[in-house]
Amino acid sequence: MTAPSADFAARAGAAIGDARLQDALGRVTAVFGSRRTSAFASLPNAEAVRDAARAARLTAVANLPDYLERFESRLLANGAHVHWADTAADANAIVAGIATRAGCTRAVKSKSMVSEETHLNEALEAAGVAPIETDLGEYIVQLAHDRPSHIIAPIIHLTRQDVGRVMQRELKVPYTDDTQALAATARTRLRSEFLRADMGISGANFGVADTGTIVLVTNEGNGRMVTTLPRVHVVLMGIEKLVANLEELDACLKVLARSGTGQQLTVYTTMVNGPRREGDADGPDELHVVLLDNGRSRIRAGDTAEILGCIRCGACLNVCPVYRNIGGHAYGDTYPGPVGAIVTPGLRGLEPWRELPHASTLCGACRDVCPVRLDIPRMLLALRRDVAAADLQPRSLAWAMKLFAWTASRPALYRAATRVARVWLRARARDGWVRALPGLAGGWTRARDLRAPAAKTFQERWQERRA
Amino acid sequence: MSARERVLARLRAAPRPSFDGLRMGGGLRMSDKLAASDGLGTSASDTPLALSLSKGELLARFRAELTALGVEHHVESTPDAVRARVAAIVGDRPVLRWDVDRLPYGVGELLAHAADGASARDVQAAAAVGVTGCDAAIAETGSLAMITGRGKPRAASLLPPTHLAIVGTDQLCETMGAFFRERAADLAAAANCTFITGPSRTADIELTLTVGVHGPGRVVVIVGP
Repeated sequence: MTAPSADFAARAGAAIGDARLQDALGRVTAVFGSRRTSAFASLPNAEAVRDAARAARLTAVANLPDYLERFESRLLANGAHVHWADTAADANAIVAGIATRAGCTRAVKSKSMVSEETHLNEALEAAGVAPIETDLGEYIVQLAHDRPSHIIAPIIHLTRQDVGRVMQRELKVPYTDDTQALAATARTRLRSEFLRADMGISGANFGVADTGTIVLVTNEGNGRMVTTLPRVHVVLMGIEKLVANLEELDACLKVLARSGTGQQLTVYTTMVNGPRREGDADGPDELHVVLLDNGRSRIRAGDTAEILGCIRCGACLNVCPVYRNIGGHAYGDTYPGPVGAIVTPGLRGLEPWRELPHASTLCGACRDVCPVRLDIPRMLLALRRDVAAADLQPRSLAWAMKLFAWTASRPALYRAATRVARVWLRARARDGWVRALPGLAGGWTRARDLRAPAAKTFQERWQERRA
Repeated sequence: MSARERVLARLRAAPRPSFDGLRMGGGLRMSDKLAASDGLGTSASDTPLALSLSKGELLARFRAELTALGVEHHVESTPDAVRARVAAIVGDRPVLRWDVDRLPYGVGELLAHAADGASARDVQAAAAVGVTGCDAAIAETGSLAMITGRGKPRAASLLPPTHLAIVGTDQLCETMGAFFRERAADLAAAANCTFITGPSRTADIELTLTVGVHGPGRVVVIVGP
């Protein structure tokens, strides 16, 4: 599942060459982007709410061990079971173990990125538990043996015709490309899964430390099904997803849906406090919360600790000029876009994922839209510095940068070099454009032309004006 | 050493990270500071809700939000009118409801023979209409707050394709934040609290809106006297 980073350029190139994907990416990111803009326009004190959400999340990251102990004690008091996992494999083993002990064989899942991160489904299948994804997009991803390509819209890379063919092939139903009919088929199929499942698995959008509450936001209602119908509910969450109390939760909820889908709130905001209480007609008998580290404590100890404040809204994807061109799969792992370019090297290691921090123009659009104001460009630069310091970049690039630095710090040499380069480039240009460059510089002209330099440099014109 | 101890030890071994732009300092309890700048958002209206709206203003805002969400709503001035409206919406279709004593305006007596939380799951799943009360109606967002408890099965607002919720005017609450403050004890005592904001929806396929994908595709609110 996890693709090696060395293939990044190949994956990106394939995505750029896929006309249908380009069309979908352009449309989807533009729609999400404009919905977000209007949702925030109607929030009069939006900047103050963003400040509050940022403070809530990053104060939790800063004080994480204290928050976790508080959260755990509240969960236990509420009647939940709490499990801790160092690694993805440990988390999967814990969930499989819960299923085995409780005799569960059919699990329904609501959308959980952490379960993608740990590849929980494969582990459950190996343990004899059949996991069914129930978010419509994730269900189709599972049927198609595909991977999600956007944090909140998993199948933007598929057309409704694709979805129709997947359902025809996997569910043996007549082909249709009518979205209402496709959704109705999923509703019918998944309803029977909900009714007979004995385990529900969800992620968590937030955990509230003061009250021991798991918060899920969903639009379809599958999150409510998963947390209501099966007799065992397992929450798999990263250790970083906490806020202190309900007032902080309120601030975070105000910005999450607005940033993701442009809604004030998602249709369902589900707050889980524990297993069913005495006298409740429904709800699970057992609630298990699995707290996963899997590299988060390492991220927190470094220069990208701020990324742990991310609330996974997906807004940074929609505005990123790189994501908008290459889509989610090119990032090669669970978390795409600007956030993924920081999270993936943090969770999986910098060496195999060293190209991701470079998959950015550093334009800062991600920072501008981030509901919790994460300084994503700063973190990308920190990772690029680490890549250079660890000598992980290509030899040719390292030498080229050294040569440039050496030249640029010698004014006379720099002026002479720019004169030579100018004459050389102008000689190669036709109609003001250079269409091909040799060697390392060919990377630029492979996908676009280079404008020929002006007849005089800025410095020359400056000297003339002063004269 | 347990995984718990290892995770906490790793977190405590690292220096506490510090971040720019945290205007509210640190610590577990920040309620007072946040309350000082309560961020109240709007969508149907561009003005933030003041914290002391009249009942009429709250109801107007709640209805405007419901309209924006695609939720059918009726305001009735007598218990008889509420029951008549319920009867008209339900017709002779199978109902899954909260317990009789949990439904206001005598709606429970009207639906005395309907399925409830004690019914078998397949009977519940066959219901066409779920009839519930609510624990609060959030005016700012058009949300129904449902706190679980005796006689209030979650399935009634989840399984049937139509959810009919009966709201009392005195249940109108300005914001989710106000609800959290006023009902903290009730929230802590319950297993679950769900805010329902409109009909079940998805736009996963080509961003085309489809309602009722898992939860109710039709939500109807009756506001009683």
